[in-house]
Amino acid sequence: MTGDTLDRSEGATIFLDHVTKHYRSGGGVDDLTLSVGPGEVFGFLGPNGAGKTTVIRLILDLIRPDSGSIRVFGRDSRRDSVEIRRRLGYVPGELALYDRFTAREVLTHFAHLRGGLEWSKIATPAEQMQLDLDRPLRTMSKGNRQKVGLVAAFMGDPELLLLDEPTSGLDPLVQQQVHGEVRRAAAEGRTVFLSSHVLAEVGEVADRVGLIRNGRIIAVERVTELQHRALHQVDATFSSPEDESTFRSLPGVSTCTLTDHVLHLEVSGSLRPIVERLAATELTDLSIREPTLEELFLSFYEQPNA
Amino acid sequence: MREERRSLIGWVAGLLGFCVIMLSMYPTIRGNSGFAKLLDAYPEPLKKLFNLADYTTGAGYLRTEVFSFMAPLLIAIFAIIWGSDLIAGEEERRTIDLLLANPVTRRRMVIEKWLALLTGTVLLSASLELTLGLLGPAFKLHVGWGPLTAVVLGSGLFALAFGTLALAVGAATGSRAVARGVATMLAVATYLLSTLAQIVTWLRPVQPASLWYHALGTDPLSSGFHAGHLSILVLTTIVIVALAALGFERRDLAT
Repeated sequence: MTGDTLDRSEGATIFLDHVTKHYRSGGGVDDLTLSVGPGEVFGFLGPNGAGKTTVIRLILDLIRPDSGSIRVFGRDSRRDSVEIRRRLGYVPGELALYDRFTAREVLTHFAHLRGGLEWSKIATPAEQMQLDLDRPLRTMSKGNRQKVGLVAAFMGDPELLLLDEPTSGLDPLVQQQVHGEVRRAAAEGRTVFLSSHVLAEVGEVADRVGLIRNGRIIAVERVTELQHRALHQVDATFSSPEDESTFRSLPGVSTCTLTDHVLHLEVSGSLRPIVERLAATELTDLSIREPTLEELFLSFYEQPNA
Repeated sequence: MREERRSLIGWVAGLLGFCVIMLSMYPTIRGNSGFAKLLDAYPEPLKKLFNLADYTTGAGYLRTEVFSFMAPLLIAIFAIIWGSDLIAGEEERRTIDLLLANPVTRRRMVIEKWLALLTGTVLLSASLELTLGLLGPAFKLHVGWGPLTAVVLGSGLFALAFGTLALAVGAATGSRAVARGVATMLAVATYLLSTLAQIVTWLRPVQPASLWYHALGTDPLSSGFHAGHLSILVLTTIVIVALAALGFERRDLAT
């Protein structure tokens, strides 16, 4: 499942080598090996408390591994931390800002700490995200505060972006804006490491996805493969009788039951054959549901070598 | 630094108010022979314990009412509260994640935070000195800038040492409460040690272990600067800053 990591360790933007980190209060990550290539948008998918934030904070040298090593841009995460941080931008999962200041004051201070960035480096992303720089941070909505965090991460055009649940708790409009920023960064050739507990979000922006649970990587897959594996639940109700076998034989159908004009299917891969077949029926009700994260993880446990 | 501007102004105002009250009471005591007689009747140990010498002269009054513990203590409390907040506060409020995502070493963060503490303590001490030096004559209290500077410097360095200790404990533990507790306890202990050693003979040999003794135990208001004693304070502070950087360097932050 992580067989490609060895080949990718050379020239990788992020490379975690058998990293273990435990907290006294529990949690953390266990013998985790992971590699993210340059220019890649890597989605780090897992439920809350799985260890996503731990990995990101290890990369930043805010916490140190119990064992194993981490290389970022080919450099040691501990010894060369300052050089690494010069080249990356970070949005924390629990974004805490200096509430007594305005966005302009905080961003100016960070620009100074980054070696005196020009103001245009701040103004441009702030304009793109329609952020009001002169309001005190404590009076800002969660969405606007998150934008301040994003501007802080994006200013200076860093080569690597570490985004820890960048859209959690935001309204859909701002979420779309954030996804837009991620896609823009990717188009400019930056590497993005984005953690999320929402499958749809990762599916929308990422190239590859690492699934993490209880501090262990369950799988690393391309998004297309993951979406192929993700079983959609299709429920349809008809007004006239239908033949179960005509559904069972459609490509990608793994489960099929038809009772009393009510059809239930589990489908992997393209939904098109199903939709086309359904179009030829007297359909009275239809629902197609994406798998939950839990169902996705289960699919890896049930067929470990699939 | 700017983060604490408002609270610094508050502290300056408070200290100023305290000085004005103390100064305004001086004219009723100055040259009051009744007070002198009353104080003479006090037993010697009590006089030493509360620094009651020459209460009716300007220097004696200041020593007893302002510098026996009130003013140094106020500056020290300011320094300890602020020092404990500088690093541990960033951790508790979780702003440290964003701050240290910037290309800044932890050592640099400790040193810059300490420089902010130094600046604040200097400003507070300077406002104390200016208040007493400028308003004193209006209440017929003259001690001269030299002795005043000596005693304010002692107070400021004492406060800085314990503010730095609070910063260091905060940097090593990530807890403001622990930082405040440890620094306050040790500041009080060092005051008690120095003061009690004046009346308890067997404590005399350990008196030099007390930073209060080096800051104010030598009565700088009458005897002036003591370079040796003050350099012990300065050196101790520098060592604590170094330890703060070391302790901070090794830790997992804000877990």
